[in-house]
Amino acid sequence: MTEQEQNIHYWQQLREGNKQALFELYNNTYFHLVRFGLKITANDELVKDCVTQLFLQLWDKHNRLNEVTQVRAYLFTSLRRMLIDKLDYHLKTDAAISRLSGKEESEELPYEEIIIQVQHDDELKQKLYKAMELLTPKQKELIRLMFFEGLNYEQVAARTSQSIKTAYNTIYNAIKVLRNTLR
Amino acid sequence: MDINQYSVEDFICDESFQQYCLGTDPAAIAFWENWTSNNPHRSGTVQEAARIISVLNANQGNLQVQINHLKDSIDRFDLLKKALQHEGPKTVRERAPVVRSRLRYISGIAASLLLLALAGYFLFRPSGKKPAQTGKPVVVNTTPIRSGNEPRKTVVLPDGSVVTLRSNSTITLANDFNGATRELTLSGEAFFDVTHRETQPFIVHTDRLNIEVLGTIFNVSAYPGDAHTETSLFRGKVAVSVKDHPEQKVILTPNRKLIIANTMPGVKPANPGNNLQVVSMLPDPVNHKAKEIAWVRNRLKIEDESLGTIAGKLQQWYGIKLEFADEEVKTYRYSGTFESESVIKALEALQLSYPFNFHVEKEKIVIGK
Repeated sequence: MTEQEQNIHYWQQLREGNKQALFELYNNTYFHLVRFGLKITANDELVKDCVTQLFLQLWDKHNRLNEVTQVRAYLFTSLRRMLIDKLDYHLKTDAAISRLSGKEESEELPYEEIIIQVQHDDELKQKLYKAMELLTPKQKELIRLMFFEGLNYEQVAARTSQSIKTAYNTIYNAIKVLRNTLR
Repeated sequence: MDINQYSVEDFICDESFQQYCLGTDPAAIAFWENWTSNNPHRSGTVQEAARIISVLNANQGNLQVQINHLKDSIDRFDLLKKALQHEGPKTVRERAPVVRSRLRYISGIAASLLLLALAGYFLFRPSGKKPAQTGKPVVVNTTPIRSGNEPRKTVVLPDGSVVTLRSNSTITLANDFNGATRELTLSGEAFFDVTHRETQPFIVHTDRLNIEVLGTIFNVSAYPGDAHTETSLFRGKVAVSVKDHPEQKVILTPNRKLIIANTMPGVKPANPGNNLQVVSMLPDPVNHKAKEIAWVRNRLKIEDESLGTIAGKLQQWYGIKLEFADEEVKTYRYSGTFESESVIKALEALQLSYPFNFHVEKEKIVIGK
């Protein structure tokens, strides 16, 4: 069964009141949802809270849920709506302005911005900014794929058309630079 | 490569270690839990590696921790639903829409309650329960309140604010506390949950600082003899000023803390501004809760226990007497796990499952129907 087929199956069982199916669906989608949310707003606490609330709502209304074939897309849309609701007025106006000026495409936050923004400590923010400056574009890309997107070495290698060994070495060297700068 | 020789970089780049940090693979979790407990001398290296992984994934969190939060909140939600179904069975049919909308309202509260618990603190507090004392000043006893050797002691101030003192700490209320202002002096450490009063500032004086708040939750550590005085803010806004230098005012925002070096008696610092530092609070690497208030945070795991038993546990932890005005309430039974920083928040969380009332008096809390 593909992940999508699994999710449809869990969704069906959830509609029939199976609590375990809700948890399985959570296991399958948690990191996808958190990553999706972080690209909308770099506030990890808010995103995680909204994901929990989303599943609590699914459980609350499980016998009123409709049949869904794109489960993940459905969850993404619900999470997005929830986050936009909770973002404060300024962010909403900012978003509206960037939509007006036709920048809709670039709505997704870039990786470096996300990892710097979620940190509260100014000193760490500075160091992290400096550390990312020191990395080559290739190194940054591989770090993002492995740590943010959650790919393993095999998937990173396939995605960037290089050997697993090269991928490993690139990431290892990047981590060395990062650690030295963050210390 | 031998894991015993692993550097921080080696841990970070190890796929199985990454899975352990994210809580995604049961085999990896079991392996690394076992390995770390057998190699406590490597815990510094392991923690640094885990921290960098968390920085690089933008604090995406740990799946096991997150799913346990979800399970807890669903348990609580189901309990609540059951409790509501039991009330007034005769009228349920005709009143069905009303009951349902009310359930949705309360489940909203339950959900938000959980969110706050996740963030590590309970913030909301229904305003109806506050003793309404605006207007006339209350005559208060200005005898110092001391915690002595008790690990924690909780007192309710005349304005309804709740203060939990850490051991060997003392607070002294000003003569006219609850008059135009609410002022007190602290020596030692205390966790404050202040009743919101727009026009009646709440001011904490320590040896070095004046901390002015309107309504908020914060922790102050000001033991005489300690090298630093720390003020950690959890909610709301506080203005901290250095004694003798009122122009040095720092506005603290939530999840930040202000540290000031304590000078030796008689030695005047050349520039007191250099001793001030505002930093983020330290999340614990294991449960991501602020370490500053680990001393006051209580995690209650309840498995089908009566409110009488639970009250005993709360009484022991927070150091305040809990009494029952009603015997039936004592027998209400609860299950679930929750965390809270104050006895008030703990009782409010319990109230969501079975409705009961409580009111606070100076030395005790009375629970009734």
